[in-house]
Parts: sequence; structure tokens; C-alpha cells
Amino acid sequence: MSAKNKSKMFKNIPTIAIAIMLLSFLGSCKKEVFSPELTKEISIQSTANGATYDIKVGLPANYEPGVEKYATIYVLDGEENFDFVSNQCKAISDKNVVDNVLVVGIGYGKDRSIDYTPTKISSATGGATEFLNFIETQLIPEMEEQFGVDTARSSRVILGHSYGGLFGANVFCIDNELFGNYILLSPSLWFDDLISLQLEKAYREHNKHRSQLVFMGIGAAENLGRMQAPFEAFYQTLRDNYSDIRLAKNREEDLDHMGSKEPNIVKGLNYYFQNR
Amino acid sequence: MNLLKYLLLFFALMVSFPGVAQKEMATASDKHAPVVRLLTIEPAIGIHTNFGIDLLLTNMIQWNPYKRLSLASYSSYNINNITQRNFNHIKTNYNYSINQKFGVGTSFYFRKITHTFLLMAGVKYTSYKETLDSADFEKTGVAIDALSPDYGLMYSLKWGRKKCFFTVRTYLPLYPWPTKGSNPLYLDGNMNNISLELGVGIKIR
Repeated sequence: MSAKNKSKMFKNIPTIAIAIMLLSFLGSCKKEVFSPELTKEISIQSTANGATYDIKVGLPANYEPGVEKYATIYVLDGEENFDFVSNQCKAISDKNVVDNVLVVGIGYGKDRSIDYTPTKISSATGGATEFLNFIETQLIPEMEEQFGVDTARSSRVILGHSYGGLFGANVFCIDNELFGNYILLSPSLWFDDLISLQLEKAYREHNKHRSQLVFMGIGAAENLGRMQAPFEAFYQTLRDNYSDIRLAKNREEDLDHMGSKEPNIVKGLNYYFQNR
Repeated sequence: MNLLKYLLLFFALMVSFPGVAQKEMATASDKHAPVVRLLTIEPAIGIHTNFGIDLLLTNMIQWNPYKRLSLASYSSYNINNITQRNFNHIKTNYNYSINQKFGVGTSFYFRKITHTFLLMAGVKYTSYKETLDSADFEKTGVAIDALSPDYGLMYSLKWGRKKCFFTVRTYLPLYPWPTKGSNPLYLDGNMNNISLELGVGIKIR
């Protein structure tokens, strides 16, 4: 190759590389959507806090409520996570040839910082009690009445990420009879002086003999000095004190708070389907 | 997401732009000609865009074998999360990372300023430990050591005409996108890890 051609080649390498990256990036921005034919949408106004929650329900293919009773996954941050969780549930149930579940995506009513946090440490926190009341007294009964879902505790799953994971961990502690399965992803267990660990300790005797499934996930790159140690402490507490628990954790390599969400959702759902 | 698109478009435009550099090297007597540096060493200090809680100590060696071809070696030692080492009974025992990257790109020369755009790739070693230490709970520690790929886009600006010059650079990390996944969520944390560095460079040749 002549010197002139070599020089020309070197000049073009950065342009070509960046063009490839641009095309890859722009192509990857498309969001996957769950099948509209299998999605029902309803709105429910909470009597506890007055907010109206948009609920999306993802149905299994060949949905037969009169014949089958379906397990239900209640997904927090439903507006972000409903489609992904619904698609993954379908894929996992198809691959393993097992019964699929109903996926209930809970939209935002009040701000998520209010709905998902247990105590009022600022003006934008502390509404979890009312939000839980909405789920327990309005949303779940609505699902049972309108969609014929299984009413057993062991058939209900709650899935949450970040503040949603915090909410799920606190429901585990204070209202353990409501859900039998918990998928807690990058949970904000540092919140309000480790209140989740305090609640677990306070309610342990009440909960520790009950059967449950808990999957905890986090990103290994979540290194802001507040996530890893409480996550590990909560996991070890469950491992050491709960006699009838199916428990697993995953630390997703090289991924941070948002990057680890979807890989951990996949691992959490797989764990649930394989161990329910 | 939009910011990232604009940054990538900016880089694509800049490397496509023909530039206005002279074909001949500047001579000592040619005051208006662009300064072309063939070999430089550029130490700098910097922060990340995560509210500036990381401190970066960095050095870049840049070699231009041809005027428009730039090769670089970049090394850094980062002290991470300096401002939140003790939070809610959660103590950070240590938190640092070490980077070594090599890059290829191009430079555009103006009278006092040189713009360099580089594609960088290398490795990053991150090590940190957190301990939950509260009288109410059992003491729990977590130590994480990780060696990971590190690739992304770097922009460097050199300002000055003499042997010593000011240098400003920024690095946009791209890993783990798209190798671990093509979802733009994988880039979310990277927005907080864009580096901003300021230093003084020395022209060797």
C-alpha cells in the first residue's frame, strides 16, 4: 500500500468508527412494547391519598380466567417497567413451558418519592402507608374481581427498583401477609437511617416462619457509599433468620444503578418462575 | 439521552471537517502559522460530572506521527466519592480506580489552539469497600474489585504557542454500552462519569 493511501486510510478510521457508533446508538433507542391485544388499562382513584393510578394489566396468551387462576406480579414504576416485565414473563414462560402470570403495572399517582418512601424526611417523601393501603384495599381486590386472579398470598409478587425496592422491602417487613414473593432491585435501604433494617428487626418474630421467596439484585458499580452495605446486611439478615425462605441475590458486574435494572429483572423473574 | 446524541453528532462532524491546518509545519519565525506539536506530555487534574465528588489525577501522552493522525496514551488514578465517605452509618473504607487507555484520532490546528478528537480504549480497575457499622445491627462489610473494559470518546484542547501550554480535556465513557446491551439505560450512569480535566502540557517535539 502506498504512503498516500495509508495516510488516507488513517484519516477515515475515526469518521467510520463514529458513524458506526452513531447508527448503533440511534438504532437502539427503540423501546419494546408489550402486545396491545394482551394489555388492559384501567384507572383507580385511591381513597387513601386521593391520587388516581393508571394501571396496565398484561394478560397471558390464551387467557382463561374462568378456567385458570393466575399468579400476579405487581410492578412498581409501571410506566417504565411494565412492557419489559411483561415481555420477559412471556418469554420465560414460553421457554420453560410453564404457566404465565398477570403483570400489573402500577403507574404514578403521587410522585414516586412520596408513594414509595415510608417516612416523611422531606416534603416529597413519606406516603408509603397510603400507597400500600391503595394496593391492599383497592388494587388487589380489583384484580381478583375483574381478572379472576389467584387470591393466595403465595401467588402474589411485588417487583420494585430503587425506591420501589425500598417499598417492597418495607412491605416485606410490615405487611408480610400480603405478598409471598419479592423481587427487590437496587433497593434504597439507606433511606432514613436504615429504616428498612429497623423494620425487619421489629417484625422479624412475626414473619420469620412464613414461607416466602425473595430475590435481591444490585449493580456492582453502585459505589456511591450507600447501596452495597445495607443491601448485603438485609440479605444476610434474611438468610440467617428466616427458616422457610427461598432467597437469592445477584450483583451485576460493571453495571450501575440504572444499567443493572433490566438484567436483574430478568434474573429475578427467572428465579421466581423456577422456584415458585 | 438527547445530550448524548448531540455529543456524538458533534464528534462525527468534527472528525469529518477538513480543517484549516497548513500543510507545512510552523517555523519559529512564522508567528501566524498554527503550532503543530508532535509529542506532548499533559498531566492534569479533574472531576467527574457526578457533582464533582470524584478527584482525577491524570496524564496523557500524545504522539502525532502524521499531522492529522493522533495517537495517545492516557493514565489516571481516581479517588472516588470523596464527599460521602460516612453516610447513615455506612462507611466507605476506600474507593478508587485506575485507568489505562490508548487512543487514535485526529487533530485540527489553529494559531493558538489545537483540537484533538480521540477514540479511546483500555481497561479500568475499580476497588471499593463499604461497611455498615451501627450499634443496632450486625457489622457488615462489602468489598468489590473489578477489572473492566473502558472505551469512549475524548476531546482535548491545547492552548498556547510556547513549549508549555494549557490543556483541557473531557472524556465520555461508553462501556458497558453497547457490548453488554444496546439499551441506552446502560449509558445512564456514564452521564455522571464524564471527566472534565485541566492541566499544563509540555511539548517534547
